[in-house]
Amino acid sequence: MYESLAGALLGATAALGLALAGILGILIWKKDRTRKLSYLRFFIQVVSLVGIFYSFTLALWLSGFFLVIFAVTFFSGRFFCGWVCPFGFYMDVVALVRQKLGARYFSLPERVNGALNKLRYIIAAVILVSPLFLGGLTITQASGIQALFLRGPYRPIDIMLSPLEPLIVPFTGSIASLGFNSWSFSYPYARDILTYISIPNVTLVLIYVFIALTLVSTFMFRRFWCRFCPTGISIAAANRFKALKWMPLLHISKVEEKCTKCGICKRVCPVQVTDVYEQKGGDVKTSICLNCMRCVEMCPYEGCLKMNVADKTVFKTRNWLEPSNSE
Amino acid sequence: MKNVTAEKKYMPEMPQKEVEELNTSIKDASEKIIADNISRMKKTDPNRPAGMQYFDEISNFFGKRQKEIQEQKAKGKKVIGYFCVFAPVELILAADAIPVRVNSGWYDTSKIGDRIVPVEVCPVIRSTIGAKMIGLSPYLELSDTVISTLTCDGMTKLSEILSDSTPVWTMTPPRVKDSPQSLQLWKEEIKTVKTQIEKLTGNKITAKKLKEAIETMQRASKAFRRLQELRKGNTVIMGRDAMLVNQAALWDDIKRWTQKTEDLCDELELRIKQKAWACPPDTPRVIVTGTPMFWPDNWKLPTLIEEATPQGVLVGDEMCSSDRLLYDPVGIDEWTMDDMINGIAERYLMASTCPCFTSKDGNEDRVNWLINKVKENKAQGVIYYVVRGCILYAMEYTRVKKALDKLGIPVYYLDTEYTREDVGQMKTRVEAFLEMLTARVDI
Repeated sequence: MYESLAGALLGATAALGLALAGILGILIWKKDRTRKLSYLRFFIQVVSLVGIFYSFTLALWLSGFFLVIFAVTFFSGRFFCGWVCPFGFYMDVVALVRQKLGARYFSLPERVNGALNKLRYIIAAVILVSPLFLGGLTITQASGIQALFLRGPYRPIDIMLSPLEPLIVPFTGSIASLGFNSWSFSYPYARDILTYISIPNVTLVLIYVFIALTLVSTFMFRRFWCRFCPTGISIAAANRFKALKWMPLLHISKVEEKCTKCGICKRVCPVQVTDVYEQKGGDVKTSICLNCMRCVEMCPYEGCLKMNVADKTVFKTRNWLEPSNSE
Repeated sequence: MKNVTAEKKYMPEMPQKEVEELNTSIKDASEKIIADNISRMKKTDPNRPAGMQYFDEISNFFGKRQKEIQEQKAKGKKVIGYFCVFAPVELILAADAIPVRVNSGWYDTSKIGDRIVPVEVCPVIRSTIGAKMIGLSPYLELSDTVISTLTCDGMTKLSEILSDSTPVWTMTPPRVKDSPQSLQLWKEEIKTVKTQIEKLTGNKITAKKLKEAIETMQRASKAFRRLQELRKGNTVIMGRDAMLVNQAALWDDIKRWTQKTEDLCDELELRIKQKAWACPPDTPRVIVTGTPMFWPDNWKLPTLIEEATPQGVLVGDEMCSSDRLLYDPVGIDEWTMDDMINGIAERYLMASTCPCFTSKDGNEDRVNWLINKVKENKAQGVIYYVVRGCILYAMEYTRVKKALDKLGIPVYYLDTEYTREDVGQMKTRVEAFLEMLTARVDI
């Protein structure tokens, strides 16, 4: 018992050490200031993916994860979405592949983007609130459209955590939604489709349609799912109510005078946040922002954009034209 | 190409002899003025950086650079002239053509331009028309085509007048800067110019070439910003010298210019270590904003400021002919053709502080830029320079003054013309202003 615990502890320490070494390595090795943070983020996403994969084997991931995400998101904005979430990581990889193919991305009209952001609340409300009214329903009672949402023992938290599902999952059998030979594959939300819409033949087709749709949309629009993903809601809640405005401790802040309105921040944003560009200084607080810091990294004016944690600047814009001579 | 038989809509038929006479006399005068300006710059700062030697050479319009362009043109390269900072230099470079800015700074040619347009018109326009009439400007003459951005009324009509004798491509910048449809229009303009450039040069602008061109310009921006950075502390380089370096980027080969500017910056950094200042550290620090000034003739105001008693020093400016030129880099997220074109379009439209714009969010870009410059360069006063007829800059004065009043920075409105006649009077005005700044320092 103690031995296995010590072993696990040792393993965790070693993994943490490796991760830290990797971060340090990227900081030293990558000199290009416009890519340094992106590389770092990519690395952290990979590390998180591995971590999440292993926590799937521990079986305690479900509600524990939800609490962690909720707490982290409450205090750090959608940092989780930008730096940890495996689904976000897939989308970044898809974007990378697209870049390698030399294909362009498309942008959604601002109004559509705003509407999708609001759609987030509706989706989340449907997922979270409906069990209160329909929780007692059994499979036989729910029929028609209701069945689409509510078939089986309803678990809203499960759906909320679906983006965390890696493509290759450690579990096999009925839980793994897409089994090929001995490999176990899954896809975010695929298991939910499998659980709640169990019509023979149709379900699997639905899953493939869903995968195709998300892939194509991600190929065209950067981080498409993030624009209405219900998991990113807890920060949104904190932003909605004035009394909670102080809550996120991590946010981007802008110095108006240094801004020349060149529009780089607006263009590089993977979820098309316009607030950084439009706002006249001060803290940027919007629920669409993933805190991926791409804008802070790409802004060419020294000290114009800052990443603040509890009013302390952890990272600020640098004149990336200058070669980095520190670190 | 030039269609000789076409009827000229504006340009008068001038006898060949008169054209030649005017050309030689103004050219001779101009060469003298260039030499005189440089010798005065040397006199103001006896310990002038050695790196300035190169820029002195390149600043001669009728010298080395003209011959170089002629040679390259003979080899089949195309020369594309442009008027405002809006012209996408990256695209010109990517198509293997030579970009060169052709705004005229000659005082004498503005008198000739008076024959076509009334004197109320901005002298930059009149002077450019005059230079074209007598074929004075070597770069304008060598240009296969001219990109004219229709920023102000003067530029709009100038493009029409010039099209009598040179092919002119016009680009319409929208008047509202930050609306989505404006950006769309501007992107279309950029794409149109891209196809035009490809057609003229016969070179296809590929993603690889464009990336190279963007990186070349980024390196130029880097050197450019490095020089601006060095001007923030005690003066190591006189304002006129720095302005000349900036302006040389308008017609010089950009790679060589970058190299020479980096060399100059290395030298200046050494001087900062040695504390070898170009002028006493308590010299009043002035920033000039307003109408662009062009080498060689329109060097009046900077000369006056730095040769006045008490002496002042130009620590920066907010002009599209100098400190605004290469300040903004094109920032590219993904190196795809589409993103690069978007990046170029946004850099030229959105980062511009040209007063021809207004915007929905209050149009604060220019004021913010100036305030930032004043704070960072620790300027004590601002001279608002306007040439008569430059309505857009003149009209923004009140707003700039109000913003600077809040900071307690005195602003002085100085309006003038393309003429040498008011130098004495201007001298008195500039000296009074500098006197006032010195008095403020004493307190």
